[in-house]
Amino acid sequence: MKGLTAAMLLIGASALSACSSLGGEGYGISDYAAVNVHRVTVGNGNMSVVPPRPWNRHRAILFEDIPAVEDWTLNGELLDGITYITGLKSGHFMVRQRHSADQQVPKFRADMTPPEIAAMLESLYRVRGGAVDFHTLSIQPRPFLGANGFQFDYEHLDNDELWRKGRVVGAVIGDQLYLIMFDAARSHYYDAALPDFEAIVASARLRA
Amino acid sequence: MRKLGLTAALAATVALGACVQTKQYADVQFTPPEGDYKLLVLRPDVTVGSLTTGGMVEPRAEWTDEARANIIAALRAQQAGRGGNVTIIEHRNELPGVPEQELADVERLNFVVDESIVDAKYLGNYLPTKRGRGLDWTLGADAVKLGQQSGYDYALFLHAEDQVASGGRVALGLLGFAGCFIGFCAPNIGGAEQLDYASLVDLKTGKVVWFNVVDAASQVPGIKFGDLRTPQGAAQMVERLLGRMKPGQDVGRRQAIR
Amino acid sequence: MCARCLELTRRSLLVGGGVAAAALHTGIADARIRPQDMVPLVGPGFKPTDVDEQGLWHDMARVEEEIADSNLLIQDPKITSYLRDLIGTVGGPAAKDFRIYLMRIPDFNAVMFPTGFAVVFSGLLLRMRNEAQLAGVIAHESGHFLRRHEIRSWRDQRRKTDLFSIGAMLAGLGGAGAGVYLGDYVQLAQLGTILSLFKYSREMEAEADAMGVKLIAQAGYDPMEMSTVWQQLIGEEQASAVYRGKHRHHGSLFDTHPSDDARMADLKADALELKVPGKLYNDYRDRYLATIGPIRPMLLDDQVKLNDPGASEYLIETLAQDGWNGLLRFYEGEVWRLRNRLAFNDEARAAQSYAAAVVYPDAPADAWRWHGIFLLKQGRTAEAKAALSKYLTMKPDAPDAPWVRQTIG
Repeated sequence: MKGLTAAMLLIGASALSACSSLGGEGYGISDYAAVNVHRVTVGNGNMSVVPPRPWNRHRAILFEDIPAVEDWTLNGELLDGITYITGLKSGHFMVRQRHSADQQVPKFRADMTPPEIAAMLESLYRVRGGAVDFHTLSIQPRPFLGANGFQFDYEHLDNDELWRKGRVVGAVIGDQLYLIMFDAARSHYYDAALPDFEAIVASARLRA
Repeated sequence: MRKLGLTAALAATVALGACVQTKQYADVQFTPPEGDYKLLVLRPDVTVGSLTTGGMVEPRAEWTDEARANIIAALRAQQAGRGGNVTIIEHRNELPGVPEQELADVERLNFVVDESIVDAKYLGNYLPTKRGRGLDWTLGADAVKLGQQSGYDYALFLHAEDQVASGGRVALGLLGFAGCFIGFCAPNIGGAEQLDYASLVDLKTGKVVWFNVVDAASQVPGIKFGDLRTPQGAAQMVERLLGRMKPGQDVGRRQAIR
Repeated sequence: MCARCLELTRRSLLVGGGVAAAALHTGIADARIRPQDMVPLVGPGFKPTDVDEQGLWHDMARVEEEIADSNLLIQDPKITSYLRDLIGTVGGPAAKDFRIYLMRIPDFNAVMFPTGFAVVFSGLLLRMRNEAQLAGVIAHESGHFLRRHEIRSWRDQRRKTDLFSIGAMLAGLGGAGAGVYLGDYVQLAQLGTILSLFKYSREMEAEADAMGVKLIAQAGYDPMEMSTVWQQLIGEEQASAVYRGKHRHHGSLFDTHPSDDARMADLKADALELKVPGKLYNDYRDRYLATIGPIRPMLLDDQVKLNDPGASEYLIETLAQDGWNGLLRFYEGEVWRLRNRLAFNDEARAAQSYAAAVVYPDAPADAWRWHGIFLLKQGRTAEAKAALSKYLTMKPDAPDAPWVRQTIG
């Protein structure tokens, strides 16, 4: 997927200059831009949030991304991350995958109940994320963006032998999926950024 | 779904040319340990293999043992110069007071943190919020617990990899992968290669206070940088990696002002 | 979001090893290797004397330490001692030296490392229908060790790479190049490369097959079961491919492994050769089912959640040959639910399967919950509430109990 593109870019860039493999900070183009403490739109612009402190947002790569999805991180996405889904339409996948892939993440459908959305996310982790174990910790009702939404808490063991923990707050509005998802290493990183996530969720607004 | 790209990117760093690079990052408050401190060196990952003509690496047990012994001796000597107590443990069940599984979990978290540091600081995927803040990562409460249970002040995670070109090696001029950062270490094609990194964790706070990578690549076989099989080579590696620990930004500034 | 979302699945774990009992193999069959020609090349307590092999063993010690500490290990004492007994029975002269680890990887595979420790993937336990089949796979892996395939193949590769360095190297790096994360136990330098170089030749795979079938026959298992294993695997691959509209890969001259069909045929011939007329062979199915029974729900869960409907449905139907029950009907429902194809009317199928599942006394609590949700979708609200209430009675602390309670009202 896009990983190959990133790798090829990296090889290409490095080959041009000897002794540049340990390129330091600030050289070259980072994939990330800072998000400061003010209201920003995320994903395809349908939703806006205010982070309580600066985060790093991943730049969109044209033609590679699903426009409704956006990723943020504080310490690097292996350690923590917030993902926004802003109006994913019914009948669509939340990741790009080959139609002929043996194992697939299911499509989102507007008539999905919260347990079904949770199952779709679990599938994402197991099929694409390399999770070897996945525990649902809770599914409960929670208002979100003015609608009757849900909160989904889970943890998963990945094939780097690290346990990660996550929380999703979401809702289906007008047949489209909106959610904010926080996933981080269970040791230290989840607790450290959970308050940020909660503040962001509280600040979230739909743009008309 | 951004993380989709991360691992491949990490796998594809390139080392070209004959250069010894080391770039270290330190926490802004970092002062290299001196005086009476207890340093724990965890399961140093050392291997030395022979690069055959075809580019395969043939692991040589006796070389690896020698290299490990040399590195450990060099570490002790270097740290003794600083006045600390160094304990080097080879197996997870060798640390009294700390259950094996707990140690394993700290190592795994450290590994992921190290990967993140490499990606953010060395592979160009810098995080704007961390700019100018030195080394801004932590292992958190689990590392602090490790320190309390074991009684150590610092933990050093060390990885040293050295390939020695055997006779008849042809420089292939190919791109090699320094894939060690994702846990898969591929031999670096192109001559003798030495790739070492170290991270130092302050067990009182859990923070990674110092990180360094030494990447000594040579395109021309026969030129050896600090052959780990010799005591001098190992000492050189340790010196490059650990010896020039620079104090962090704020400490440097304070000293300058004085 | 998910830190490893690049093509990384559990299947990627140890993929660099290629030290497989089975994978998607192709290849034209050579002349069959006869089981009686297969003699072990190592005895009990074997330790290497050659320098290169010693180096290999040295690195492997670290790998084994990592595996022994892994979070992915299944450590149910009943099952692990069962596996140890099994490899003790079919391990030939090295039986007492082998170690065996069970890891939670939903793949059909088992890996034997050069120093005599084997890793069995949990997916294997889902697919093996009796003890003879499981013993066959373990015996095959033992065969690799007893015939010293690892060091032979590694030395082969070393010779070859001296001549064809670029190709071999890049082929060997396939695992790393694809960004496969192999975990801490291959963090040791060059280890991933070493593992990826253990690609057994067609001849070696055939040797291991022949040795394996001989070992299980000696131990009193029905030797025919090994070819049945291949039959089942072929069926599964076919089902998976058909669903995706792909063709199952058949043999080709350029591949290094005997094709599944060829293996199946050869193993059949081997079995006929080895079977002593009139002797009673056992497959110990009951003992096997009783041992793995407790983890079967987990195995099914892991498999079904990979969302490979062709393969999953095939497996469930194979297991159902021993009789349908609530657990199997429930997981059948899960397959359709996750497949979720409008064109196939999956919602109705899933609803049907859940309804069938809850009739059985062994239906898991989750079957009631999904039964309830699908009744809701059909507008059968009263029945839905009853099903969901039953779910809560069975599992009052269910993680989604808050949501369910709100739904019931």
